[in-house]
Amino acid sequence: MSQMKFEIPKIELMKSGHVACPGCGASMAMRYALKALGQNTMIVIPACCWAIIDGPSPCSVNGVPVFHTAFETAAITATGIKAGLSRQGDNDTTVMAWAGDGGTFDIGLQALSGAAERNEDIIYVCYDNEAYMNTGIQRSSATPWGAWTTTTPTKTPKSRPKKNIIDILLAHHIPYVATASVAYPDDFIRKMKKAKSIRGMKFIQILSPCPPGWKSAPEQSVHISRLAVNSKVFPLYEVEDGYRYKISLNHKNIPVEEYLKHQGRFKHLSKEQIKQIQVDTDTKWEVLMKKVEMGELFSEN
Amino acid sequence: MKKNALDFKEGMPVSAMSITDMSKNKTGSWRYMRPYYQNKTAPCIKGCPTGEKIPDYFDKVKAGKFEEAWHIILEDNPLPGVCGRVCYHPCEGACNRKDLDSPIAINNMERFVADQNMANGYPKHFHVEKTEMKIAIIGSGPAGLSAAYQLARKGHAVTIYESLAQPGGMLQMGIPKYRLPREVLKKEIKDIQTLGVKIKTKCTVGKDISWQNLQMSYDAVLIATGAIKSRPLNIPGEEKKGIAPGLQFLREFNLDDKKEIKRKVVVVGGGNTAIDCARSAVRLGADVTIVYRRSHKEMPAVPEEIEEAEAEGVKINYLTNPVEFIGDSRVRKIRLIRMELGEPDDDGRRRSVEVQGSEFEIEADQVMLAIGEIPALDFLPDSINAQWGRVDVDSFQMTNNRGVFACGDSANGPIGTVVDAIATGKNSAFTIDAFLNDKSYHFINNNNVVGFDKINLDYFHKEERPAEARSDQTKLTNNFSEVNLGLDKDQAKNEAERCFSCGYCTTCDTCLVFCPDVAITHSDNGAPYTINYDYCKGCGICVYECPRDAMAFEEEIKWKTE
Ligand SMILES: Cc1cc2nc3c(=O)[nH]c(=O)nc-3n(C[C@H](O)[C@H](O)[C@H](O)COP(=O)(O)OP(=O)(O)OC[C@H]3O[C@@H](n4cnc5c(N)ncnc54)[C@H](O)[C@@H]3O)c2cc1C
Ligand SMILES: Cc1ncc(C[n+]2csc(CCOP(=O)(O)OP(=O)(O)O)c2C)c(N)n1
Ligand code: SF4
Ligand code: SF4
Ligand code: SF4
Ligand code: SF4
Ligand SMILES: [Mg+2]
Repeated sequence: MSQMKFEIPKIELMKSGHVACPGCGASMAMRYALKALGQNTMIVIPACCWAIIDGPSPCSVNGVPVFHTAFETAAITATGIKAGLSRQGDNDTTVMAWAGDGGTFDIGLQALSGAAERNEDIIYVCYDNEAYMNTGIQRSSATPWGAWTTTTPTKTPKSRPKKNIIDILLAHHIPYVATASVAYPDDFIRKMKKAKSIRGMKFIQILSPCPPGWKSAPEQSVHISRLAVNSKVFPLYEVEDGYRYKISLNHKNIPVEEYLKHQGRFKHLSKEQIKQIQVDTDTKWEVLMKKVEMGELFSEN
Repeated sequence: MKKNALDFKEGMPVSAMSITDMSKNKTGSWRYMRPYYQNKTAPCIKGCPTGEKIPDYFDKVKAGKFEEAWHIILEDNPLPGVCGRVCYHPCEGACNRKDLDSPIAINNMERFVADQNMANGYPKHFHVEKTEMKIAIIGSGPAGLSAAYQLARKGHAVTIYESLAQPGGMLQMGIPKYRLPREVLKKEIKDIQTLGVKIKTKCTVGKDISWQNLQMSYDAVLIATGAIKSRPLNIPGEEKKGIAPGLQFLREFNLDDKKEIKRKVVVVGGGNTAIDCARSAVRLGADVTIVYRRSHKEMPAVPEEIEEAEAEGVKINYLTNPVEFIGDSRVRKIRLIRMELGEPDDDGRRRSVEVQGSEFEIEADQVMLAIGEIPALDFLPDSINAQWGRVDVDSFQMTNNRGVFACGDSANGPIGTVVDAIATGKNSAFTIDAFLNDKSYHFINNNNVVGFDKINLDYFHKEERPAEARSDQTKLTNNFSEVNLGLDKDQAKNEAERCFSCGYCTTCDTCLVFCPDVAITHSDNGAPYTINYDYCKGCGICVYECPRDAMAFEEEIKWKTE
């Protein structure tokens, strides 16, 4: 087949009228997530852009119940709702915590770790736009090395690498962990459906372009996401039971520069710095490949 | 029922709870750029002189609707079975896909569609109410046939006058059967006749019927007499027995099955006529040499055909030119001179210059001259202007004589190929129709062509074009079975899928899938999609992602002022 085709469920639970910026990846991500999970879903949203995108009380753009909660409490609130439903005899409703990177990598990490360690039966999705966007683009531990944010200005851009949240989750030995991209909605939807079918804790990180925060053109959100994947800056893979790795698609060999150049937040980077990012990216990819191999080794036994 | 916090107090829920969606929030007001659907012109359509709607019929092929695909081609070209075999396919030279891997096998696709419809006739709606108008067409080559077809589809009464016993022009008399089986030609001519087109064969204008008579009896006359006269070499000995125009050999063989072929045949010339003569003679058992005065690179024949000829045993003497034919009453030998390439001439090909003192002789029992064909216009009155031996026409294909039109190889303008003849024939038909109805006429201007840079390569993977099947040609003698066999169904469908479909929406859903604002829906008003401008924020993702540039993006202000 020489052309890309989509197999996407027709159902639209997320409706028009939301207040995300034009070209917001987080809004696309929610649309696909709900297509995958269907009507019988409850969402928990902590403080983040999505708390706003959804609409002001008494409105909600999502055609399923949404519970707004405090910044650090997405995982524990979802846990509570799931427990409450189960107490009422409802074990079918999917409860999804939906949080930004700030609410996941940083302030919400202890609640997330607790839920993961207890293997709570929830899906936790982190839409990762790599900074605190809703409050004006402050750095988070998900912000990549070298990126501009309002708290890491171009003179002193972020000097620490992006935290590897997937490895943190994997350390909890939970049944399902995956990365996803808005450029590959079919892959994301497949992963969400799989997550729904698994009992216990599921974690999905979806890279979520943010035109104002990344200083990128709104029309390029999908294109940039695709470059993130194919430059291997944000590879797509899933891990079952903590060790069985599976790469989701054939990653093309695109230089990281292709990915970086469309985003104003990387504009100040020198050739050397870009080279450094390339080296880091290649190393991380190789490490990932080794993990895939090791996973295969263990699976055989 | 579960007990929920749904008890309302004074119309409001007791806890902060949503009671409605966000539909009141018309985010369309944020938009300053407006996306909209706009089909554009694929370069192949512009590259095809008749302007076949290539991606349009490919869409039908994908769906297995081969008859509908045929109908789409027929709008522009009544001879797809012929063109799908013999057209030099300028469409493929223009195809965007060549910049990724290899051009779409458009020519093969056209043939495939025609072959699928060999048992089918025209649909009902091709037969329209008759008008009072009568048109005479001289010549039943592709130009005349195409014009007759288009005129008949407008309801006019068309009579074609043809010298030869069988219609088709060069398709009948020139092109060998191993390239164009005559069932295909016959079928497509028969289809045209079902529209009421009359073809009077064995009727030469200027001999069997006079020009004046013709002009008086018809509302318009179209000259489509082609270029049927062979150019002479003008060298000593040319009158000897055994020397004749190659076209004459082809005509006698193709029409009357006359196979007078000697052992050693020399063909002079480097065009397609030369190659066709050579390959036909080889099939009749001759030892064939082509003599051409320039090098391989300058040879006007299609490269694949030169290759095929050589594979079949035809020898080619490049950079040689005859200076004299030697023999008693019959030709026995040819004196040749070596040539070298000099400065480029007017049409950019390098001039060939004789190398003094380099003459040599080769044996020849039979010589075919194929150095070019020119129109025979002696039947025309002097009052009709000609230029460089061709009827002079304006951009509407009309001569200086109102009501008299000309097309194909007999007129000036694009000449020398079947598809140009079909195109100018079609254009003449439209302008004749406008002339007869006293209307003005505008040709469709295929602007807004989609460039390769507008194709979103994220959606396409490299994949080479299919190789056409070929018949077994190991036993060549007396084998005039078709050499190329075209594509099978799977290959054709796959090739339709491989096409980018430049500027032509394939309802791939990409725009709909990626809209972050759920503003695009499948529409029920005939168009495949509707953009809900109440909510579209104008992010542009749909336009940017469209794999084939079937959308456009414009400043909102333009729409506001309109
Ligand atoms: C051997 C050969 C091979 C070719 N191969 C190809 C090919 O593979 N692909 C391609 O694209 N092109 C090819 N060409 C060129 C192509 O055939 C011509 O460009 C095309 O046929 C021109 O079409 P036409 O309708 O103008 O004229 P023609 O096809 O030449 O038809 C003119 C018709 O008018 C008739 N006629 C002439 N004078 C009179 C008269 N006074 N009264 C009545 N009837 C008359 C003739 O008998 C003839 O039937 C080839 C040409 C030759 C000679
Ligand atoms: C305890 C607490 N601290 C700070 C805030 C302010 N606040 C609201 S949203 C937000 C940023 C959220 O960032 P992230 O989780 O990455 O989501 P994004 O806005 O980027 O979508 C902050 C700091 C808060 N609501 N609560
Ligand atoms: S700031 Fe970024 S993440 Fe937040 S709504 Fe806008 S585009 Fe989306
Ligand atoms: S890719 Fe298809 S539509 Fe585009 S130029 Fe080639 S044949 Fe035509
Ligand atoms: S993707 Fe949607 S919101 Fe963006 S321009 Fe297209 S229709 Fe409008
Ligand atoms: S993205 Fe697909 S469906 Fe949308 S306009 Fe382009 S071709 Fe048509
Ligand atoms: Mg964030």
